[in-house]
Amino acid sequence: MSSSTREKVMKHLDAVGYLQPAVHKPQHAPYPDEIDHTMYRAYTRSAHDVGGEPDVPMAWEEKEEEQWELNTFATCECLAWRGVWNAEERRRRQNVDVGQTQYLGLPYYGRWLLTAARIMVDKQYVTLTELVNKIDEVKKRYE
Amino acid sequence: MSKPHYDREHHAKKATGIGDPQCFKGEAGKAKFKVGDRVRIRNLPDVFYTRCQVYTRGAVGTVTELVYESPAAEDEAWDNTDKPEWFYSVVFRQKELWPEYPDLYAEDTLESEFSERWLEPA
Repeated sequence: MSSSTREKVMKHLDAVGYLQPAVHKPQHAPYPDEIDHTMYRAYTRSAHDVGGEPDVPMAWEEKEEEQWELNTFATCECLAWRGVWNAEERRRRQNVDVGQTQYLGLPYYGRWLLTAARIMVDKQYVTLTELVNKIDEVKKRYE
Repeated sequence: MSKPHYDREHHAKKATGIGDPQCFKGEAGKAKFKVGDRVRIRNLPDVFYTRCQVYTRGAVGTVTELVYESPAAEDEAWDNTDKPEWFYSVVFRQKELWPEYPDLYAEDTLESEFSERWLEPA
């Protein structure tokens, strides 16, 4: 394993440390009596149900879609036309199944793309082994 | 291991040439509510998936329209289309949803859609 891989691994571990939701409570593997009904519901809710949550203003950026975003949309629509998923299953997977950290942390079409790959594995159109090998093969083209 | 047998085109076969939700017309049975009914949004568990906004739970509104029949989002999200329900458009006073909403705008409203399972008579 090259040293640049180790550097990337360490950088990744640092990045993961930034992802904890900003709840000012210790939240690593709590004992059952530390989670009451309110917190249980907060943790198990649908992450896309954000209406009414307190938040701070966001900067609005006027930005065209990038090419990969357009490609991702077309790919996901093709999956629908071929019956791999319907729009509601796609929303469930890309808005809720990804979990709060990815829902808030990834770009909109980043979630679409990740979910498109996930459903191909979940429904056994490709194996995770095939997917991982393909990603590795494509990555090498850019090294 | 063998793959599960599953007709992934079942929805396309049903909806092609008709449209969705039109393809579920007549499958939800008799509607429980009518236009003008006062309804309260039920506080059902929201584990795994829902499209019923949590800020509407427990609030009282008025049915303005029976919109269409369709599987509820909670079923359709797993591609289960066996039990279509009536969908209702319900209008709320903003003040009903947000206690701190200014009295100056007491006439402001918000309208949203709910499948029948989320409604009870108010």
